[in-house]
Amino acid sequence: MSTGGAPLLAVEGLSMTFGALKAVQDLSFTVHDGEILGIIGPNGAGKTTAVNAISGTFKPTAGRVTFDGHLVTGFAPHRLAELGLVRTYQATTVYGTQTVRENCRRGAFLHLYPGFFDALISSAKARAMRAAVEKEIDRLLDWLGLAQFADTEARNLPYGVQKTLGMAIAMAARPRLIMLDEPVAGLSAEETDHVRDTIKRIRASGISAIVIDHNMRFISGLCDRVLVIHHGQELAIGTPAEVMSHPDVIEAYLGKGHAAATAKANHAAPGH
Amino acid sequence: MSPQAPLSLGAAPPRTMPGAGLLAISALAGAVLLAWPIVFQGSFLVYIATLVMQFSIGACSLQLIIRTGHISMSHQAFVGIGGYTSVILVMKAGWAWHFALLAAIAAPALAGAVIGPILLRLTGKYFVLVTFLFGEIVRLVFIDWQSMTGGSNGIFEIPKPYPWMNDPTAYYYVSLGFAVACVGFCIRLMRSEIGRAIDAMREGPNLTECAGVPVFRIKVVMFIIACGLSGVMGSLNAHMNNVITPGNYGPMESLNLVVMNVLGGMTNMAGAIIGAVFLIALPELLRGYVEWQRVFYGIILIVVMASMPGGMVELLARLRSRLTGREAHLASAVAAEGRT
Ligand SMILES: Nc1ncnc2c1ncn2[C@@H]1O[C@H](COP(=O)(O)OP(=O)(O)OP(=O)(O)O)[C@@H](O)[C@H]1O
Ligand SMILES: [Mg+2]
Repeated sequence: MSTGGAPLLAVEGLSMTFGALKAVQDLSFTVHDGEILGIIGPNGAGKTTAVNAISGTFKPTAGRVTFDGHLVTGFAPHRLAELGLVRTYQATTVYGTQTVRENCRRGAFLHLYPGFFDALISSAKARAMRAAVEKEIDRLLDWLGLAQFADTEARNLPYGVQKTLGMAIAMAARPRLIMLDEPVAGLSAEETDHVRDTIKRIRASGISAIVIDHNMRFISGLCDRVLVIHHGQELAIGTPAEVMSHPDVIEAYLGKGHAAATAKANHAAPGH
Repeated sequence: MSPQAPLSLGAAPPRTMPGAGLLAISALAGAVLLAWPIVFQGSFLVYIATLVMQFSIGACSLQLIIRTGHISMSHQAFVGIGGYTSVILVMKAGWAWHFALLAAIAAPALAGAVIGPILLRLTGKYFVLVTFLFGEIVRLVFIDWQSMTGGSNGIFEIPKPYPWMNDPTAYYYVSLGFAVACVGFCIRLMRSEIGRAIDAMREGPNLTECAGVPVFRIKVVMFIIACGLSGVMGSLNAHMNNVITPGNYGPMESLNLVVMNVLGGMTNMAGAIIGAVFLIALPELLRGYVEWQRVFYGIILIVVMASMPGGMVELLARLRSRLTGREAHLASAVAAEGRT
């Protein structure tokens, strides 16, 4: 358990290079229990790479990642999941040919797997775990508004619902910190609001979150603090209001045309 | 569907409890299997069925590897390691067969434990290629290790496991018993939480690893288990044939086990058994037409792979849904797939 003011996740001096490309340089930030941290930045800024380097998809070139008091730099994703750190992918990733419920069961492996021999003989322990997870999934599906789709194959779901299912799979692992890579990319304004409310409720249940997105309105309406990345480096970090009024951020996002800044900052479309 | 899937092997079968229909079919199959050597006593068909039992063990154990997303072209090499171990221990060391059988499971499992973690780092066609080479290397070892294996002539006059197994009917029932045990184990395993994780990691390895599944460790463990089980086939087959030669354990013979799974749809143990029946029975039925065998073989393979990615199991499912009027449901599923 993280005690006192110790952060749940602490990233120090994180760097990730691909050959000559410095995709992430010397990033440091923390996420506290129950906090939502936004990460924002133009296309290719290094947001996904930063998450990949934290979540074990890549081994970071340099830096330290501490989660819940454990040094977890370069840990494989499954070990991080065991500790309670789970992420979703930028591309919608669900198991297309499986039902929504089966998708969630697959996400709940840690709470379903009773050990090799118990699983093999379907022991009382295995059955008890299964029953508990089924109940948990019922609640989760209700909670995320997926109950009506429980028996639908994921590939037959509308895009927006697939994104929600992606979150459900991650939530089924019962994380303490969930990292969401562009959870609202390609969604309508209405769907975006729905996802924002969902993430707020996830946080209300005691789970911290890192949310990556381009959409400044979405991020500022959701996050406690925002980290702005540009060319792999920290440009600014602070509350949404602080960050949006930061001169470097305005310049990076909108060029020198400061006059347009306030008008456009509400819905920044970086990279264009 | 998932962009991360290394192989498009088709989806996992739905996880349903066996219904009354399935129980009825199983009971019928059980009755046929038990009655077979009595009905066909003294016939070549008993031998064929015994072969099918043995290859079912090979095909189903290979499927444990295939389901993790790796098509191994060296499985028959592990069958061979089991076979040679059993024969050598019985003939040269004078072991009782039941102990030799244990060693015939342990030896390929051990070989799998050594080579598996290296091979399994490769995926897709690279895994196929390197396992093909590994299979060839093992075959060459069988040829070159003259003092142990008898070289390319192999080992002759292998005794049956026990004298009473000289009776083909007895050999049939023993093989049936081992097939039921091994295949049953594979089915149980794949229906468990481990099987769920295995099907998940084939369809979305990254997503599955993020759910806490130790993907690589499971692949290695499955590889070891599959190699161990293959040794059961190796021992039963070698002692039945009276002779063991390297030619039976090369990559082309491994391909046979893969094809059994392809015919069966890759993700279904029953399919692998149907594939084994087909591939063992077909050459025997076409005995008079040796030169046509390969042609038939090729045509059937192409037709199955091109028209039924789900293999013969899919064909049966289609027939069944047609019979029970569930075609509409299937059609909508197919249409939905077309949309994505
Ligand atoms: N595996 C990789 N190998 C080489 N270069 C990579 C790799 N992954 C990312 N990059 C590069 O690193 C840089 C940062 O990419 P990243 O995907 O982290 O950006 P991003 O901020 O997530 O962008 P987007 O908003 O488009 O998702 C890019 O220049 C990208 O081309
Ligand atoms: Mg990205």
